[in-house]
Amino acid sequence: MSVSMSTTEHHTVPPEIVSTVFYSATVSESLAILVAETIGGTQRLTWGNESALRLLGYGIEDLRVLPVGRLFPTLGGGELKLLLRRERAARMTLPVRTASGADLEAVVVTTPSPGGRMWTVRLLSTANEQERALRATADAHERRFSALTERSPVPTLLSEQGMRLAHVNDAFCSLVGRRAEQLLGTGWIDTIHEDDLDGVIERVAAALEGDEVEIQARLVRDDGTVRTTVIRFAHLFSPGVGAGFVGTIEDITDRLAFEARLAHQANHDPLTGLPNRTLLAQYVAARFVSGTSGLACLFLDLDNFKVVNDSLGHTAGDELLVEVADRLRATVRPGDLVARFGGDEFVVVCEDVDEDAAVTLAGRVSDALAQPMRLGGVDVRPYASVGVTVQTAEHVMAEELIRDCDIAMYQAKAGGKGRVTVLDQQARAEAREKLRLVAELRDAIEGCEISLYYQPIFGTQDGAPVAVESLARWNHRERGAISPATFVPLAEESGLITGLGLLVLEETCRQIADWDHLLGPAAPPRANVNVSALQLDDNLPAQVAAALERHGLDPSRISVEITESALMKDPDSARAVLQQLRDLGVELAIDDFGTGYSSLAYLRHLPVDCLKVDRSFVAELADGHAEIASAVIALAGNLGLRTVAEGVETVEQAEELARLGATYLQGFSLAPPMTGGRTAAWFAARSGEER
Amino acid sequence: MTVTPFPGSDTRVAPVPVFDIEKVLASIETMAAQRPVAAQIVSVANSDDTSAKALARILASDVALASRVMKLANSAYFGMRGRVTSLQFAVTVVGFTTVRTMATVALTNLDDESRLPENFWDVTTSLALAASSLAPRFGERPQESLCLGLLAQMGAALLHHNDPVGYGEILASEPTYRGRRSAETRRYGINGLRLTSVALEQWGFPVSLTTPLKEIDDDRSMDGALLRAAFEVAARLTVEDYEDEPIVRLTCGRLREDDVVPVLDQVRADAAELRRAMLGETAASDDPSGNPEEWTP
Repeated sequence: MSVSMSTTEHHTVPPEIVSTVFYSATVSESLAILVAETIGGTQRLTWGNESALRLLGYGIEDLRVLPVGRLFPTLGGGELKLLLRRERAARMTLPVRTASGADLEAVVVTTPSPGGRMWTVRLLSTANEQERALRATADAHERRFSALTERSPVPTLLSEQGMRLAHVNDAFCSLVGRRAEQLLGTGWIDTIHEDDLDGVIERVAAALEGDEVEIQARLVRDDGTVRTTVIRFAHLFSPGVGAGFVGTIEDITDRLAFEARLAHQANHDPLTGLPNRTLLAQYVAARFVSGTSGLACLFLDLDNFKVVNDSLGHTAGDELLVEVADRLRATVRPGDLVARFGGDEFVVVCEDVDEDAAVTLAGRVSDALAQPMRLGGVDVRPYASVGVTVQTAEHVMAEELIRDCDIAMYQAKAGGKGRVTVLDQQARAEAREKLRLVAELRDAIEGCEISLYYQPIFGTQDGAPVAVESLARWNHRERGAISPATFVPLAEESGLITGLGLLVLEETCRQIADWDHLLGPAAPPRANVNVSALQLDDNLPAQVAAALERHGLDPSRISVEITESALMKDPDSARAVLQQLRDLGVELAIDDFGTGYSSLAYLRHLPVDCLKVDRSFVAELADGHAEIASAVIALAGNLGLRTVAEGVETVEQAEELARLGATYLQGFSLAPPMTGGRTAAWFAARSGEER
Repeated sequence: MTVTPFPGSDTRVAPVPVFDIEKVLASIETMAAQRPVAAQIVSVANSDDTSAKALARILASDVALASRVMKLANSAYFGMRGRVTSLQFAVTVVGFTTVRTMATVALTNLDDESRLPENFWDVTTSLALAASSLAPRFGERPQESLCLGLLAQMGAALLHHNDPVGYGEILASEPTYRGRRSAETRRYGINGLRLTSVALEQWGFPVSLTTPLKEIDDDRSMDGALLRAAFEVAARLTVEDYEDEPIVRLTCGRLREDDVVPVLDQVRADAAELRRAMLGETAASDDPSGNPEEWTP
């Protein structure tokens, strides 16, 4: 404390003033203190400390003649009274005039002594105050901050109060295509999409209360275009002022568009741009309400698409698909969905239609497709078979609707190409029945419910049994015995044939080994195993070899029977497989010979040992028609092949076939199919008779 | 820094005011005693460690004042569309200076129109909104400028209250604000704006708020220019047959007439709502934000 008293003896400072000075909380070395008194109606300065004299540049004597008003030139008229109040302290920020005539900005605080005729006057020069430095620092901070955001490429908002903005940067202005002055205050609210505004205000409220939040919101540009953005709000607190926020904006419009494109690609066929199967399923599922009606599906399959692809090439095929897609889009009603189901299959989904309307639409679609189009220099009419299904109370699941129109399409195709068919209830019931049966067949194969029966085959000359044919039997728990004529095609259609074929092969080999063990030389010399066309691939020889090896059998104990039609599906590859089997040492027979259309020239080159004469030709013998059976047997003889006549029912037929030269006979009257155990007993008995 | 010749030792006797200005100031303090909550807010709101929570707690004991703050926070001016349902959040939204300004208005009975010069609030809301809209052009904070506009005429109201007849004569004889200020100085020894600044300084309002009040008649002062422009806008909107003053001259070239057009529209649009919030009037539509029963804690 260095408040020195430069008083004169004539003007002593009253003790109360001294105490005010000394005990004032804010006294410091730099504090300038003056004393003013009312003398003769005007206020004059009567004392000042050294700081005050130094600050003002007056000597104490000069000061003492100075009216107070001279120090404060901006206080005109009666305003001095507001500074030197009789009963209360006062505080003003105003210029103080120094001896040199210069003005000094200062905070002036006056305190009256009791009686109201004398005041201490404290001068705080703001020029030297730390406060000013702090303010300058704060200003510099703010300038740096605004310079930073101003040049930032990130669109940035700075709030003033509530939703009101104090500052926006250039990046935000160009994002919304407006000038800063249009955006400050509440102007920027106009750029927020009306539907997103509530959410934005909610987030601002959260940010003002201290949270960091973000929201996806659309901003409407001045030109009316819309940008989708993520706005992130951070809390901002200014002491003494209140809360605000900083908002940064990320424009995600392009990213969303890209994502949408990806999503579109995932759900659409790239060739035709139509929705794909995935989207079709979602679309139908979204509209399907069980127990209602009104949804209809059209399933289209191009007739002869494969011909176009094979003859004119895949490019032409693609061109055809695109044209079909365009025609479909142009023909359906607005709001109908056209989807590419796969390959040359298309599905149209309509809402709020009855069967008549759906059939009318299907007809219109057929007509539109039947218009010729030029493809690779050829006029092509892309006829389609169309299956139609309208939703009924029986449809429980959305996918049943599409499945049913798929069935209807197959009916259409079966009825001749280029037709429209509405799914009839019987076909539907049949299809469902089939589905159930497939599931049960799968269980049967896995659960070994398929058992094998064996039917002996006899030599024509000596009547001795030379082999057995393995026949699969399905004994259904509820339906009883199911014919192979039913379940074998079913297995072929549903991809179960491989499993079934392997089961038959394996079980037959096991059974032969078992017979060998039981009967020794009296065991059946050979077993014929039927192989489906679909099994006739490169895996078959290895599967056969493995089964034989597992049961320690010679390859000659097995004969593989293949239908004629199976051989004709892919003759070259069939021949290769047969050759491999033949090399293995397995005998080969062609089943149902004469029912297919195999060329005789081709037959000559097949490595087979035996032809089986179809039972239909054998049956004709009874009617006196021996021509075909005779021809087949003669043909086989000429090619050096043996023959088995199937379905021999009578002694007369047997004799006739022997006369025609058939090598072997097989038939219910000769010996019925029997279980493995019974077959063993049968062979044992035969062996006993011969001995 | 202005350098003027050293004044002689002669003492020019100031014209004797016709009444004691100090009594006017003293009367404010008497009023303050009647509104202790508002007085408390005025005294704490400028401290750096004030929080919205603390302010809201004090504010809650003056329901009339609190409901005005709520109403203002939900007004179009702050763009919050009725989202403000708690007093603390209302304080956050409008800002501490605004709360303080509203407390000052209550404290000085500016919300009692029967004691005010005619047209007082029409002019004041226009002045406040104009100052707020123009603030960015002058590098000022709009919020603070809004408060400046709301409080500027406090001195004039006090003069009118203490000398209704004499002040009425000034109003009648002086159509312009500048002329009125000169007349006030002649009659009272101080003009209304300076009286406002003295009172605000006394209560510790920031210098940035008081300087424009002191420098309005210094045509070279940028600090005074914003307030001059705001008065010009208010006059154009509220004074009949007003003769425009060129805005370029009033603002040291900072504004052109084109800049004023959108401000006139903006002020016209928001004035009524601001007035309702400041005076606690209820609009024709029922406004839940004014009802304390509806607030969340």
